[in-house]
This record gives sequence, C-alpha cells and structure tokens, in this order.
Amino acid sequence: MSPNGRTIAGRDIIRDGLWGNNPVFRQVLGICSTLAVTNVVLNTLVMCVSLTCVMSLSCLTVSLLRNWTPRNIRMMVQVLIIAFYVIIVDLILKAYWPDMSSNLGPYVGLIITNCIIMGRCEAFAGLNKPVASLIDGFFNGLGYSFLLLTISVFRELMGMGTILGIEMPYFSGIWDKWIIMVMPPGAFFALACLIWVCRSFKAKEGA
Amino acid sequence: MRDKPWYAVVYMFVVTAFFSSIVIGFAEFTKGRVESNKRIAFERSVLEVFGLSAGVPAGRIHEVFVESIREPDDDSGGAYVYVKDDDVKGYAVEIAGKGFWAPIKGILGLKADKETVTGISFYEQNETPGLGAQIESDAFREQFDGKRISLSGDPLIIKPVGAELGDNEVHAISGATQTCRRLGVFINEDVSKWLGEMAGKADD
Repeated sequence: MSPNGRTIAGRDIIRDGLWGNNPVFRQVLGICSTLAVTNVVLNTLVMCVSLTCVMSLSCLTVSLLRNWTPRNIRMMVQVLIIAFYVIIVDLILKAYWPDMSSNLGPYVGLIITNCIIMGRCEAFAGLNKPVASLIDGFFNGLGYSFLLLTISVFRELMGMGTILGIEMPYFSGIWDKWIIMVMPPGAFFALACLIWVCRSFKAKEGA
Repeated sequence: MRDKPWYAVVYMFVVTAFFSSIVIGFAEFTKGRVESNKRIAFERSVLEVFGLSAGVPAGRIHEVFVESIREPDDDSGGAYVYVKDDDVKGYAVEIAGKGFWAPIKGILGLKADKETVTGISFYEQNETPGLGAQIESDAFREQFDGKRISLSGDPLIIKPVGAELGDNEVHAISGATQTCRRLGVFINEDVSKWLGEMAGKADD
C-alpha cells in the first residue's frame, strides 16, 4: 500500500490506519495481545498507550535510519529498535507505576513481538519519510486501541458489571455476570463479533 | 561503501551499541526506584495483615515498618514479628507458591497465640484479572480475619462457595478454582512448616 517513492497524503494514512486498513479487524494482526489484555478496561488503556508510543517512535526511528540500513539486515535493526522502546516503557512502568506493571505482567515485554509494529516498520516506515511514518505508526496505534477498548468495555461490563472498576447501574445489580467474558474464551467471542460488525460496515460502504 | 560486506556488520554493531547504552543507562537510573518499590510492596503487605497500613502513604511505609516489625530470628521460626511495647503481638508468616499463571507471594498474619489469623495479604501475583486476581480483593481476604488455624490436619481449608464453614475454613472464589486450590496448598505447606519450627522451639 505504500509504493516506493510516491508521497502519500496524511489524510489517507490516517484513514487507512484507523479504518480502511485497520491492523486488527482488517489485517487481523496483534491478536495475542488483543485477546490477553482486554478483560479489564484500565489494563487495556495502559497497554494501548504503551503500544501507540512504541509504535510511533519505532516507525519514526526506522524511517530515520532507512537510508543507511542495509536491506539484508533491516529486520534485525527493526527488532532492535522496537525492543529498545519497549524496554524503556517497561522500565518506566516498573519504576513509576509498579501496580500497573504487575497487572500487565509479561505483556508489556511482549509488545516486542506484536506483529503490528514490525508490520508497519516493514511495510511503511522503511520506505517512507520520517513524518509520514510517525503519523502512520500513531494512527495504526489508535486503530488498534479503539478496537481493544471497545472489546474491553464489553468484556468488563458483561463479565464483572463494572467499567474502569466503577460499578455500573443495572450491570452490577440485576445483570447475571457472564464470568466467561473475563476469561480467555470470552475474548475470542468478543473479538469475532467485533470483526464481524466492523467488516459488515465496510461492505455497506462499498469501498 | 554500503555494498561492502563489512558495512552491515559495522552498522549493526554501532546501532546496537548506541541503543543498548541508552537502555543500560536508563535501567541504572531507575534501578533504585524499582527495588524500593518491591521492598515497599512487601513491607506494606506485612503491615496490612496487622491492620497497620491503613492510610499510610507509600513514603511512610518503611518508617512504620521499622517502628513496629522485628526482623525474623531463630525464636520466631523465620517469621517477621509484630512488636508493640516490647510485647510480641503477632507473627507474619511468608507464604509463597505457584499460582495459576505465575508465582504468588504473600503474608499470613497470626496473633501471638500462633492460632488466630489476623489477616492475609499478597504482594506479588499475576492471576487472571477479575478471577484469580480477586484473591487481592477485600471480600476474599476479610474472610480470613479471626479464623483459628487447625493444629491437626490442614491449618486452613478453602471450600467451594456456598459450603458451610468451620472455624478454619473460608470460601473460594467462583471461577478461580485453580488459583484457590493452589493457594490452599502452599498456605498449608508454609504454615505447617512454620508451626513445626515453632513447636521445635517450645520443646527446647
């Protein structure tokens, strides 16, 4: 989607990242973290912010180095850059927000292996100018985040009757909590339904 | 120059050295904080089982800990001791073992009679949020307050929700069967071991 040398309008990058080429429901990438951290909204929120930061900065850095990086070792360099930012985020959480760090457990470290980041570095940042790459990384991060947050709102609400830990009317009282929603299988159901809904919108647009 | 075979090697070396040095520097910079966070989490956990941590800000936890808790020694069988006015008020027994996903570490507080539970708290766990992680919830932990551990058989028993409870029994968390089962196993192992050591002391 990013032919070499042609400049791409910022608006198109944004639209692709958020919807047209959304990393989660279009490309179905980064599913492990989508399934793993979406049972409580707060954890999802921190994960999304971390991923968006790491992705934007990684894309920027990969793009800055693109003219010096030899093609045959470019993936090694990408992994190195992504790992660098992930470790920094992990250290920041450990030092300044230890509770959240222990909530997210190993998932912060696993951002390194999130295919969305490497996918964007490889498909976009390695071929395009730094600013465009930064925008691309950021909006793909947002595209990922809005999907994850939607899933987590439904899971936490139906599974625990709360949102961000705050009790919701009806759901914390009368609603019979669906414990399966906060367990791993619930993630599969929620993700599948959401992909279905999002893709059927796309079909109506006829784009 | 970029076509030369050594270019890739030198390039990778330089890039790696650059990013690693920043990470190492940053890790050094935050090391003290990370370690003190862990220490504070532990100390807060010990104070919590004796009801001493309520309303104490993170900055003062260590101060309160030093004031009222004595380090483990031979006489306490390896448990931290809660001392007030030179009297032993309780023992904080460390409990640790495998959870469903990752190790769980916590503290079980007992009164000086070595039988009455004052509380339980956890300072490290990685159970499923909303399910196993509920072991940290007040509702689950408050059940332990005032229980009397059994000196014959298992000291504490975790029973399914709805079962009738005896003096040393608490309810499990529904949906977190595995976490509760494993929790029951290592609480009993660690408490039995500690009771054994204390009994050994009494015989001396």
